[in-house]
Amino acid sequence: MNNLIMFYARECPHCKNMMPLVDKLEKEEGIKLEKLEVWHNEKNADLMRSYRSVIAPKCGGQLRTPTFFNTETNDVLCGEVEYKKLKKWVLKK
Amino acid sequence: MKKYWRCFVCNDIHYGINPPEICPTCKAKNAFVEISSEESQKIVSATRIEFNRQKFLNAIEKFAEKNEFQVNPDKEKVRMLLDGVFNNEQNYGLKYCPCRLITKDFKEDLLLVCPCNFLIHDTYREKGECWCGLFVRRKK
Repeated sequence: MNNLIMFYARECPHCKNMMPLVDKLEKEEGIKLEKLEVWHNEKNADLMRSYRSVIAPKCGGQLRTPTFFNTETNDVLCGEVEYKKLKKWVLKK
Repeated sequence: MKKYWRCFVCNDIHYGINPPEICPTCKAKNAFVEISSEESQKIVSATRIEFNRQKFLNAIEKFAEKNEFQVNPDKEKVRMLLDGVFNNEQNYGLKYCPCRLITKDFKEDLLLVCPCNFLIHDTYREKGECWCGLFVRRKK
């Protein structure tokens, strides 16, 4: 399984804005983020909820979208961010 | 704990720790008596009010009118968010925020019902927007 997840929601404008940036980053860096929709897919929602104790404290105490999550390091980035910030987060070891 | 109260003059229903001293509808003083949840639900459900997207939009615009914020002028963004709000209501029972996920703890998830108490959130304080962007601080 890919260790980089993007939890997103279909009707979330911030997620929509982040999609092209994620695509660009994937192409440029040859990496892949697993994009999981959480309001229309119960399995993905349960997965996001299972990481609640790690994600929520870093996202205002809630499960917000978009949330970028590294399952290996438990590192979290949430919200709509600039390309530079996303890239730095993704490439962080 | 919040309880149900009924105005003995006009049957206004109030849900709260204490009843209002003056009935907001008929202005009668000290008119509220505590009742059961069953009784309150019977009274309330006798009046059916359809609430479609336009009605919801009107309601939140009216709600914002006297506040420091407004509904986002970006109509396309609002359309997308209302899609989410109404899909969530249909699938999960309440108008949950389309940009956050329910925890399945009902009481906690009430904090995600739109409009939420976004004035206390970091994103509103810092960026002047609620988390999803449906409400934005009005420009002076």
